[in-house]
Amino acid sequence: MKRKPIRETKPHKPVPLDSLVAASAQALGLTLDPSWQAGVKFNLQLILRHAALVDEFPLPDDAEPAAVFHA
Amino acid sequence: MNSPSPTTPNPQPYFMLDTPATDFDFSTASETATAVASGRTSAVRVVEATLARIRERDPVLNSFTAMTEHRALLRAEAVDATRARGEPLGPLAGVPFAVKNLFDVTGLPTLAGSKINREMPPATRDAALIERLETAGAILVGALNMGEYAYDFTGENIHDGASRNPHDHDRMTGGSSGGSGAAVGGGLVPLALGSDTNGSIRVPSSLCGIFGLKPTYGRLTRARTFPFAASLDHLGPFARTARDLALAYDAMQGFDADDPACARHPIEPVAPLLEQGADGLRVAVAAGYFKCNSGETCYAIDRVSAALGANRDIEIPEAERARSAAFIITASEGASLHLNRLRTRARDFDPAVRDRLLAGAMTPASLVVKAQKFRRWYRDEVLKLFTDVDAILAPATPCTAPLIGQQTFMFGDTELPVRANLGLYTQPISFVGLPVVAVPVPLVPLPIGVQIIAAPWREDVALRLAHALETKGVVAAMRPAI
Repeated sequence: MKRKPIRETKPHKPVPLDSLVAASAQALGLTLDPSWQAGVKFNLQLILRHAALVDEFPLPDDAEPAAVFHA
Repeated sequence: MNSPSPTTPNPQPYFMLDTPATDFDFSTASETATAVASGRTSAVRVVEATLARIRERDPVLNSFTAMTEHRALLRAEAVDATRARGEPLGPLAGVPFAVKNLFDVTGLPTLAGSKINREMPPATRDAALIERLETAGAILVGALNMGEYAYDFTGENIHDGASRNPHDHDRMTGGSSGGSGAAVGGGLVPLALGSDTNGSIRVPSSLCGIFGLKPTYGRLTRARTFPFAASLDHLGPFARTARDLALAYDAMQGFDADDPACARHPIEPVAPLLEQGADGLRVAVAAGYFKCNSGETCYAIDRVSAALGANRDIEIPEAERARSAAFIITASEGASLHLNRLRTRARDFDPAVRDRLLAGAMTPASLVVKAQKFRRWYRDEVLKLFTDVDAILAPATPCTAPLIGQQTFMFGDTELPVRANLGLYTQPISFVGLPVVAVPVPLVPLPIGVQIIAAPWREDVALRLAHALETKGVVAAMRPAI
């Protein structure tokens, strides 16, 4: 069986995140050194790419979250 | 599934069963406990040799952040006194062990790999699993290096330095339980404890060539350990044999009201079942997302699957999406845990961890909840697979140990960042709390692990298969050549 591609490794169109980072930092009371911006944006972009993959998956309205998993 | 191997297999296991024990160097926990119980040696002698070995070798491996020498010798004297009185000893009597430094150890601050936690007051009580192992006769000798706040797959730590792979000191142990991998793989202790949120037991087990057990979510109590992502955090043992894993696991089972996620599940000892072997167990190989993608991983999967007669593939549905959901939940729960420290002490974090946590704090809640909803769907689908099979095999890591400081590795034709991707095969499994034993396939120059994945609460299946593979000489924790 052919391996499915790992999607995070595909080229992505950069998402402008400066405003989201600035607004989130202000709302959460976080102070970001300017030198951290690039690292934070890189990681936020990575999270949002993963989130997009999850978000596109169709779930019914009555889907229950599994915040704590009980086997 | 046949694939060429670029490395030379060396399936000859190293055991000391027929060698007169002198300092119990590289002996297993089982051998040590048997020797102490029989009087062939004493617990004090074992502990003294262990402490000397750590002092001699750990300046290279950098696996320990604290030693508990005085306490260990007192405990050893107590074990020997118990034997002298003719009273029964526990199944781990005289066995030295160490714990990732996110476990509370009385008298020590619980570092969790951080600089910030060094200012915490010393713990006033041991973590529950330490208490349970010591009740079984084991003896704590120290606390182990780890990636900061467990948000790590490398074993590197900016504050304490990288733990070093026992098979090549220039290479990573894997993380975040890097010290646990180095200490057990390097022969400093036969047994260690670690945590696994997304792969932090299985990744260092793979890179250091040892056995690791991540039990079912909720099986082992996490009481009095420093958390990371609560809905994903597991604790478990590292050892150099499957039997040692089983002995430690059996000693640690049982409900504990001090961990809200600890399940009211009966204690189910596994050690007495190991000799049942693989007979009657249906084993398949994970395909699709888990398809091996390097010479080493393919060779390892081929050897293990052939030995277990696993001649069918099975698709774990939406595994890539599950990994993504685990990624989001981890970032969000981790950020929530550290939010106040990010506000007040951001400069005291490892920058690589800080930036990930800050990004996690900024992740929209609606996406996190969606990931938790997907998690339940995925869990239901994965559980269906276990009506047809008893265990599933998958690679533990996508590569053997990278060099310390290495930023990327080749995954097929694609270059991936090391820090975020060493756990790409482990994340979709722990995401729904399945029990896994990582078994070491001894390759030269570096070992690599295979995950044996079982249904919830069936640690016995995974450990039986691990023991069967060991008996066949297919998997083994090798004594480092250096």
